[in-house]
Amino acid sequence: MIEKIEDLAERIYETFKDYGVKKKEIAERLRLLILEFKVPENEAMNTVTNYLVREYKIPRERLRAPLTKIADLKSKQWVSVKAKVVTLWEPSSPAIAQTGIIADESGSVRFIIWTKSEKPEVKEGSSYIFRNVVTDEFAGNLRVIITRTSDIEEINEEIAVKVDPKSKATSFVGALVAVHQNSGLVQRCSECGRIAKGGNCPVHGKVNWYDDLRLRGVIDDGETTYEIIADSKVLKELIDMDLEKAKDLAQKSLDRGAVLAELKKKLLGRYLVVEGSADLRFFRVSRAEFLKPEVASEIDKILEEIK
Amino acid sequence: MNFKREVARRVFAKELNNATYTIKIAGEKNPIYVLTPLGLRCNRVFVIGAMIEKYEVRPESGIWKIRVADPTGSLVGYVSNFQPEALESLLDIEPPVVVAITAKVKVFEGSSRKLVSLRPEMINLADFYARDYWIVETAKSTIKRIKDLETEATEDAKLAKKIYNPNLEDYKAAVREAITKLKEEYEAFEEFEEEEEDLDLEFEEEEFDLKDLV
Repeated sequence: MIEKIEDLAERIYETFKDYGVKKKEIAERLRLLILEFKVPENEAMNTVTNYLVREYKIPRERLRAPLTKIADLKSKQWVSVKAKVVTLWEPSSPAIAQTGIIADESGSVRFIIWTKSEKPEVKEGSSYIFRNVVTDEFAGNLRVIITRTSDIEEINEEIAVKVDPKSKATSFVGALVAVHQNSGLVQRCSECGRIAKGGNCPVHGKVNWYDDLRLRGVIDDGETTYEIIADSKVLKELIDMDLEKAKDLAQKSLDRGAVLAELKKKLLGRYLVVEGSADLRFFRVSRAEFLKPEVASEIDKILEEIK
Repeated sequence: MNFKREVARRVFAKELNNATYTIKIAGEKNPIYVLTPLGLRCNRVFVIGAMIEKYEVRPESGIWKIRVADPTGSLVGYVSNFQPEALESLLDIEPPVVVAITAKVKVFEGSSRKLVSLRPEMINLADFYARDYWIVETAKSTIKRIKDLETEATEDAKLAKKIYNPNLEDYKAAVREAITKLKEEYEAFEEFEEEEEDLDLEFEEEEFDLKDLV
């Protein structure tokens, strides 16, 4: 029983050690409640915790948000995370102040800092304790959200990070199995750069827009699918189509959709070698070329295997 | 929201056509999978092969039946208004021609037996190089499945063995045949290239002689 109490005391101490709490004091209080007064363990834990919060003026949030390793995160939890900012991306909306990937020694996860949270900026490569943040799931991926009640504290500590191999993939080969409808000659909101179909931005409504050429599609190697985005620079190199040519084509055929049709005709079903960088949702292509298959060298290998 | 796009699997017609077993995990939005005799759980496939047939099922029905062949057999596909993207490109394509297709896999329960068919999402013209690469890619993944079945390495392999107990030699022979055909083609092609190189050389020499004369 004494050992059990030591164990419980250790758990409480872990949560509060930053506040000058003494382990001996915790153990003594637990012993009194459990052994002398025969209070059930969980009641005793709660009582001691409440006492410490009052006595040491510890913020309540600290209780709901225990320090958690990234690999142990589940959806809809209030936690604190000690992690390094490994990647920052351009926010896709003015509602997002910063977004990217944070990582610790157990894994990596996407994070979002809402503009409304009014937090100081985090820097790529720096480590922080993100206190009282909440997790949720978006498009099948877990993410950590920094809200107004969260705290970000920079720490002077190097964290050895482990990053998901898929998000590190820089090059792969696969077939372009789908081209999304919002590819081709698209309209973008001049305020936020989002796709503004028919001049309507999903955030800003009816807006001024500008033309852009892009490809959104799916590359698939039979084992994994990659949602890819390629810009006009990549398309120029790949199929000699740039924004000017796309505009010309649309004008000549009196149809913006002609550009999409052209992209599909030239690219659908083709094997591509792509380079770029992945975030958790998209693979942003920086270079793409058509695969020149080396079939002859593979043939003998296969025949050998299936003798 | 937990949407994850289904991978487009690479599988030969012979294996896919012999599939009869479907897997449906409870839940309205969960996809239906087809389990092939070699233990591939698939919902979508990517095929590059020869489109050898295309006709409207009944006049004015708007439903087109296509047949696409790979070295092991052929697959049937149906394209209608429900696949607008595939339908649009199909109208411009006349067999015989090499095509690339991304399609959903359906198992249709006929009166006497179950039939596998494709619902193409996209169809586009392809070339022989891509077709050959597809054959190599598909042969590799088929071999991996054969090995997994032999060792019962995965749950799906165990399940497939229980349901189909497939004759693995049969599938090995099909892969071997497909690859051997390809090998013969490439050897013929190499000889042809060598001949061409010889011609080039002769031509260059001739040019040189001409210059000398001047």
